[in-house]
Amino acid sequence: MNTIKRYLRPEQIRELSLIVIIVIALLIFGTQINNYFSIRTFNRISASVMIITVLAVGQTLVVLTRNIDLSVGSIVGLTAYVAGDIISKNNDLDPLLLVLIAMGIGAGFGIVNGLLVAYGNIPAVIVTLGTLAIYRGLLVEISNAQSILVSNMPDWVGDLPRVNLLTIGDFELRVLVAIAIATVILFQLMLTYLPYGRRLYAIGSNPEAAHVAGLPARRIVFIAYILSGALAGLAGFMFLARFGTITVGAGVGLELQVVAAVVVGGVNIFGGTGTMIGAMLGSVLIGTLEQSLIRMNINEFWKDALLGLFILLAIVSDALILNRLRDLWTSDEMELRVDSEKTQAPVSIEHKETGHVAKP
Amino acid sequence: MKRFTLLIMFILMLSSIAVVGAQDDVVVAEPGQEVDMVLLPKFLGILVFDQAHEGALEAHEELENPGTLEFVGPGPGEGADAQIPFITSAVTQGVDAIMISNNGGEVVEPATIEALEAGIPVVSWDSPVTAEGETVFIAQVDFDETGQVMADMALKLLPDGGTMAILSATPDATNQNEWIEALQAVLADDPETYGDIELVDIVYGNDQSEDSYNEALGLIDQGVDLIMAPTTVGIAAAAKAVQDEGLCGEVLVSGLGLPAEMQGFVEDGCAQDFALWSFVDLGYLTYYTAYLLATDAIEGEVGETFEAGRMGVYTIEEDPTREDGKRVLMGPFSIFSPEDIDNWRVELDEE
Repeated sequence: MNTIKRYLRPEQIRELSLIVIIVIALLIFGTQINNYFSIRTFNRISASVMIITVLAVGQTLVVLTRNIDLSVGSIVGLTAYVAGDIISKNNDLDPLLLVLIAMGIGAGFGIVNGLLVAYGNIPAVIVTLGTLAIYRGLLVEISNAQSILVSNMPDWVGDLPRVNLLTIGDFELRVLVAIAIATVILFQLMLTYLPYGRRLYAIGSNPEAAHVAGLPARRIVFIAYILSGALAGLAGFMFLARFGTITVGAGVGLELQVVAAVVVGGVNIFGGTGTMIGAMLGSVLIGTLEQSLIRMNINEFWKDALLGLFILLAIVSDALILNRLRDLWTSDEMELRVDSEKTQAPVSIEHKETGHVAKP
Repeated sequence: MKRFTLLIMFILMLSSIAVVGAQDDVVVAEPGQEVDMVLLPKFLGILVFDQAHEGALEAHEELENPGTLEFVGPGPGEGADAQIPFITSAVTQGVDAIMISNNGGEVVEPATIEALEAGIPVVSWDSPVTAEGETVFIAQVDFDETGQVMADMALKLLPDGGTMAILSATPDATNQNEWIEALQAVLADDPETYGDIELVDIVYGNDQSEDSYNEALGLIDQGVDLIMAPTTVGIAAAAKAVQDEGLCGEVLVSGLGLPAEMQGFVEDGCAQDFALWSFVDLGYLTYYTAYLLATDAIEGEVGETFEAGRMGVYTIEEDPTREDGKRVLMGPFSIFSPEDIDNWRVELDEE
């Protein structure tokens, strides 16, 4: 037990437990759905998860600072539409440039959110609930009820979801899925190793202490919103490629799925704890449930209720288990501290470096 | 493209006028009266509703109405009750007529009854309210005919039988539910013709691309032969899902769709036959009817005959598809097949 404690943090146990839950869910669905364990199911789930995952990464940055970004669904819809409009009118545009434009537009909306939250001192829920409606209204206004159509775009846009990065036997890794995974890894590294990443945790764990320590809290929160907006722009581009036809309803309700994914993934909604890997696992669990429930022949009205129930169960059971673990770990930490005081060994510093901040 | 579709529809209209012919006591609208009107679609931002608005605006200008024509409605993805505040606020503002495409089943009925009690005519279009909750319904096509048209498209695509599933819009949309019922009735009433077509599932994509896409994937996994989507959003999403799965031609896609949105899919063989009517004309006819009701030129009783500008003469009749309902029947259906894509694609290219 002690060796486990030494090498694993409660957050890692949580991530492991999420993996176990995902495996159990897959096994249960496997018995209920014909032909479930196939490469097709993998592609299906990964394609549906990729967009939520990219959004969850951005959301995690914001949630770590004790804030929230509810406007991402509208940013996705708006960037998907504008990017689609641009590529429809300029078929020769370089794909990479289009992605950058989408991310730039998203970042622009992130700036608005960030300015209001970080420098306007308005609660994040209020700001982003407002911009959720404003951005959607903007989309309704600029679209003039015209949809973006696959037939007006160059072929590569619609084909992109089917392009493989690498194929090993039956296993195919789609480019868009690879982009999502790369995003997760990149931002996980940032959280772990860059000062900016560490500061996100510091602000979320204890804003007052972070302020006293002289951290530029406003700027850190501001940048988190810009990054979240830019990632929502990237998700918007992926949305465009995946669905092709973009109406003004594109991305409605995505924010709820993303917040659910982040919370299920162990990112504390009150800031300060969580990882990108966890957020990704949360997205995978929610995407798996969603895609699999559709394939089970159950009544429409039950699907949403079941999904909600699963999310609630995941959070409640997880919270109960995690709190137990935290207690275990903290009591152990105390013992270690007592030991270390006796032996003068700086064990507690080691704990700080792992980024685990014990809750009072 | 719009202008051209309009022209085609106009020609089709002319032929229907010939059938109706001249009748006695045809009420003609007197232009220039001030009538404030509200046009309430299911959602904002859906092309077909914008086309209806276009038609209403055309009539608005033609009748030189100095009053206002408001085009308001819920944002995309809102619930069955989202239209109610717009009805209530129209009543409070004291508008002279409300034109609504109902997205809430019987949920909106109390609100429209309130409007009727305040003396405001409620003209439903596209999707009716209820017999009590409206003055008259402007039916784009005969609802039983919609079932027949869908059944015939299914029969054409599945001559040797097979499984079919319906991808609908929202579970509360009155028109969707009646079309589905009509389709089921056609299938059940003539087992000799349609007996081999098995309706295996009905799913709802809520008129959103991603929901519809996911539901279509679910249907593909169930192994259905034909996805029938009586909604323009649903049919396009189903075609994209079939395309992404590489199953074009194996899983067939049909329903109600917009030529502009469907032509790419039809060219690739990822969608087959589909049907629709002119939403511009629907908005135009709805406006004329509401204007005549608001100016007391007609009462909204069965048997009243009136002239609706360029579209000709219409009569209010009992709605055979809904008990106690009154309707003005527009029609007709336009069927768009892959075989004659050259005809309808050319129209689009001349935009």
